[in-house]
Amino acid sequence: MSSSPDETPDVDALVDRLRSTVEARRKEGLYPAGLEDDLDAHFRRVAAHRVETDLSRLDELVERVRSLPGLSTERIPLASDLPGGASLHRALARLTDRQIQGVLEQVQEAVSVLQSVVGELADALRRPNTHLHTDLVGQVDALQERLAALERQPVDAPGGLAEIGRRLERLEAAEARRRFRPPFRWEAFDAEFRGSAEEIKTRYTDLVPLLADAGPVLDIGCGRGEFLELLGEAGIVGRGIELDPELARDASERGLDVEVGDGLEVLAGQPDGSLGGLVLIQVIEHLAPQQLVELVTLAVDKVRPGGKVVIETPNPQSLYIFARAFYLDPTHHAPIHPLYLRFLFEQAGFSAAELRWRSPPPAAEVLAPVGDEQHDANVERVNQVLFAPQDYALIATR
Amino acid sequence: MTRIDQLVVSAVPGDAITTAALELQPLLAQMGPSGLYARYIHPDMEHRFEFPEARAALDPTGRDRDVIVYHASIGEPTLRDVLLRGPERLVVNYHNVSPAEVFRPFDAEFAGRLEAGREEVAVLAGRAVLALANSAYSAAELTAVGYKRVRVAPLLPDWQRLLSASVPTEVQHRVDTFAEGPVVLFVGQLLPHKRPDFLVQTAHVLTTYLRGDARLVLVGAARLPRYEQTVRTTVAELNLDRYVELTGAVTDAELAAWYRRADVFFSASEHEGLGIPLIEAMAFDVPVVARDRAAVPETVGDAALLLPGSGSCLLAAEAINRVLADRTLRTGMIERGRARLADFDPARSRATFRDQLTELVG
Repeated sequence: MSSSPDETPDVDALVDRLRSTVEARRKEGLYPAGLEDDLDAHFRRVAAHRVETDLSRLDELVERVRSLPGLSTERIPLASDLPGGASLHRALARLTDRQIQGVLEQVQEAVSVLQSVVGELADALRRPNTHLHTDLVGQVDALQERLAALERQPVDAPGGLAEIGRRLERLEAAEARRRFRPPFRWEAFDAEFRGSAEEIKTRYTDLVPLLADAGPVLDIGCGRGEFLELLGEAGIVGRGIELDPELARDASERGLDVEVGDGLEVLAGQPDGSLGGLVLIQVIEHLAPQQLVELVTLAVDKVRPGGKVVIETPNPQSLYIFARAFYLDPTHHAPIHPLYLRFLFEQAGFSAAELRWRSPPPAAEVLAPVGDEQHDANVERVNQVLFAPQDYALIATR
Repeated sequence: MTRIDQLVVSAVPGDAITTAALELQPLLAQMGPSGLYARYIHPDMEHRFEFPEARAALDPTGRDRDVIVYHASIGEPTLRDVLLRGPERLVVNYHNVSPAEVFRPFDAEFAGRLEAGREEVAVLAGRAVLALANSAYSAAELTAVGYKRVRVAPLLPDWQRLLSASVPTEVQHRVDTFAEGPVVLFVGQLLPHKRPDFLVQTAHVLTTYLRGDARLVLVGAARLPRYEQTVRTTVAELNLDRYVELTGAVTDAELAAWYRRADVFFSASEHEGLGIPLIEAMAFDVPVVARDRAAVPETVGDAALLLPGSGSCLLAAEAINRVLADRTLRTGMIERGRARLADFDPARSRATFRDQLTELVG
């Protein structure tokens, strides 16, 4: 709504429109009810508080009381205009002197008490807390009114709590839709693609001696608990964390110490230096980059000096894994390059971090040499890229 | 020869009434002998003003033909007697007197002096042969207390000088970079009848609900410490420290810098004999939003967005928000402001004032 600069605007009409805008915004809840009255009340209260007791004359009053002259019969003049009057005054003074002195002493005592009382009263008045008190009461009033004004603010106002709540719900719903909820059981998936428990135990037997003196061992992402079983068989104390409740229950039923939970959270809750070993087999490829960093940071704190961290994960230096196993698991985030992983642990302060290549592709899949030297050298180079070992292990010593 | 003398209560550098008397003096001197007198004279004004007693030493013949132009302000009992009993013809120049009531909670003594000032103006009604008021609003007050011959003849300060004031680069830069968003400006002493409380409340509504980037700047001296504290506490308790600036007294250069920086001038004043800052704002092409009170409407004419005096701070905030946002509205207000300035030529205003005296002296 605007007016042409050439003509005198209808100010009344404009003011009317502004009034309507105010009322509309009030209805919308943009303006809290009673806002202008609250503001006025607030100003009046602030103004009232600044009107303080006038203490400027206090010192003068106290001084006047303090400097009252002492009481004495000597200040009673004996002179008289009558003949012989002075002698008579003196004679009377002598006769009554004892009584008068007695009265004067009592009065002087009373005056001293009153002088000290007046002094203390003045001190009390000067002490700021007597003003502070009324000021504080006023400020509490002010806070309560502002609180009341805030509470009156309708929750449905734009930017209000209700709207924030609705937006949060929408975000949570969107997030829930994105969360992977497989229609199958992970037990079935593992059985189908990872091999039997016995096969798995066979694959990891060689890692057990690395943890011989490393109890207690925490196995994050322990799945059905095959590695925990191997540890138990070797007399090493171990317990596991598993995100999937069914896998965890299966492990627990077989007598293993397994709890359901998020590995990083459980690790963060361990006392510093309390672990002898930390194991993550086929786990870190599920993590986001920052989660991996957090894992390494936590491992430094939680694994005691001399303790071991054993991590096994797919080897991205082998292109074969991308055609075969890696994308089979839809929850894989990204493979971790072995040199990066080792770098992370070295940087974090681990004394040694060693890489071991594991699970070479089946010999039948690897390109075979044909006897020609030139040709076989090429075959070897292709094999190194395509058919490098499918997994690697990092063994880091704290 | 007829003398035309001017008498003020206090001669103080920078004071509006002192300045008006000084600027009028050359014109009166053209008409005949003329002096400047004051009951209280600041050391820097001693070379311009004399005490009223000095007039007694002048040649006594023909004193009843002489004219005293008395610039009434706060009450001054000693002068009142001189004025009531003297033989001279008395002309009262009325710059209006701030309402005493609003001052009482903050400075009872000052309130008492303002009240005495109003009483004095009423007492002098019977003696004055002419009263010159700075606005029709002030003239009506004079008529109401019994003045017979009342004319409107404001003595305007030289706002054109402010317009061409040279502003040091660093001053203008500091003011320009004070905030990124629009600046709502008020110029005037920080006194109750100027309603800084209403300005702050409006800023609260504007910055909280409508324009978070807007800032309110109050330029002007704080004369009552207790009142200033009240305003500052209000700003702090409303969490407006970042949004409201109280500059205190400023130099002419700083004042000019703020006018140049301002996006809208907002006055909530309850009482203005004549709003000089309103004229200055129009001179600096700053659109004016003001409450419809006292002499404000006759000062701004059709140039300002006038809000009913009963309007709330919500209405004021909406009005400011509209003026900030509506370019066409702004342009129109600025253009009408420029046109309005023609009525406020300082030299012409002084000439009018002089002509009134010429008519009297004959």
